[in-house]
Amino acid sequence: MKVFDRIWLRQLLALTIALVLWEAAGRAGWLNPLYAPAPSRIGFALIDLFIQGNIWPHVEATFGAALGGLVLGIAVGVALGAAAALVPFIAELLEPVMMMLNAVPRVVLAPLCVIWFGIGLGSKVALAFVLVAVLVFFTVYTGIKQVDRRLVERVRTLGGGRWTVLREVYLPFVTAWIMGNLKVAVGFAFTGAVVGEFVGASRGLGYLLSFAQSTYNAALMLALVFLIMAFVLAIFGAAGRLEKRLLRWR
Amino acid sequence: MLRAENVTLSYGAEPVLEGASLSIEAGQFVSLVGPSGSGKSSLLRAIMGLQEISDGRIETPLQSTDIGILFQDDALLPWRTAIENVSLGLRLNGRDRGRAVAEAEAWLERLGLTGLGRRYPRELSGGQRKRVALAQVLALKPRLLLMDEPFASLDAIVRARVTQDVVNLVESEGIGVLLVTHDLEEAIALSDVVYLLSNGPHAHISQRYSVPIPRPRNLVKSRSHPTFAPLYERLWSDLSDVVDGPRRIRTAA
Repeated sequence: MKVFDRIWLRQLLALTIALVLWEAAGRAGWLNPLYAPAPSRIGFALIDLFIQGNIWPHVEATFGAALGGLVLGIAVGVALGAAAALVPFIAELLEPVMMMLNAVPRVVLAPLCVIWFGIGLGSKVALAFVLVAVLVFFTVYTGIKQVDRRLVERVRTLGGGRWTVLREVYLPFVTAWIMGNLKVAVGFAFTGAVVGEFVGASRGLGYLLSFAQSTYNAALMLALVFLIMAFVLAIFGAAGRLEKRLLRWR
Repeated sequence: MLRAENVTLSYGAEPVLEGASLSIEAGQFVSLVGPSGSGKSSLLRAIMGLQEISDGRIETPLQSTDIGILFQDDALLPWRTAIENVSLGLRLNGRDRGRAVAEAEAWLERLGLTGLGRRYPRELSGGQRKRVALAQVLALKPRLLLMDEPFASLDAIVRARVTQDVVNLVESEGIGVLLVTHDLEEAIALSDVVYLLSNGPHAHISQRYSVPIPRPRNLVKSRSHPTFAPLYERLWSDLSDVVDGPRRIRTAA
């Protein structure tokens, strides 16, 4: 059949079958609802969150922390990555620090962030920032070092000076590298925000997850996981569109 | 127009090219041929100011903006359209945006790229990209054009057509040219003077040949000129001596 030539349709069909089997297994009593509630129960938990309207302050807190950390992380990562790539002395100082930060799973810094910045928004932004900034630093640092020398020479031989080379070659080249890693950075920012909230917070999707865990509410936990997934996928979609628009020359 | 005297170029302690002297007059087409590693491209880059010379001097009354260079790769900015690539050099040399775009459009049209100005380099064929690169350089009205095997990557038919376009343009504009090539036929068909370099390291200019084929040149007809075949045979024989010389000595010993 022609309709099944479409990939998304086949994927949707596979997902529907999986959900139906899961629901059937739940209703047949093959799955313990305490650990693996049926999809309908998860769906009701999700709808309930929106009907009561309690979810919005939590969504706002998580988005605020993730986007704050993302913007700050990109800004600082770009500045430090560019400085390290262009000034060898700065690279000597920064590279070992960034290597160390990269070597440890950075979410272990979450408790430290809570001690330093409190249980408010600051500690979540800080954790998301560290996760994103290290990624962006290496992206920009490596990107600038891999700039095509022939393009630099071409702009120079056309009469361009240092600033022209930066504007015409380095900036677009690095933008392409950042855009290529933007989806990963978005994922990191949400990881930082949610883990930060999980460790210590009074608001946010991570806080709700922690609450659901402490009350053994698996349906709520899975509803929140799917909700976070949906939000991040929506942002991935927006990032993908932005990437396509900005990098249409590729 | 340009005189290089006893130029030595080194990578590290060992000179690649040693004591090379050559001159290019206004409107003259000069080629450099020789084995790989003889420093042909390095000499071109040194003339353009992209590489330091270890010894000797390069004299020219030309400003750096009077010299254009075409590399083996087209080196177009991939994020700029054809017209933006061509107008970039014009804007960097003082034209306002509107005038730069108008001049760039005129050059693209002159090189047979009408209607392709809004395309990005990846949307163009190899031959079209070369023409854009050529338009980018010629739009600045250089008095000396340096070319480092610019058409080597093109297929034979496209290469012949683009090369003929270049010859027509440099002849009509009176541009001096220094071409680096491995292709002896191309060197003779295009040039007024051909320099042969010896093997590197410590390469030097071993011969200078005048090409008496009249201008304007047609690249196909040039090959049937009575002086073409004898000159080609001589150049080929001298190049073989340059490349195989040391081996012959070893065999004799």
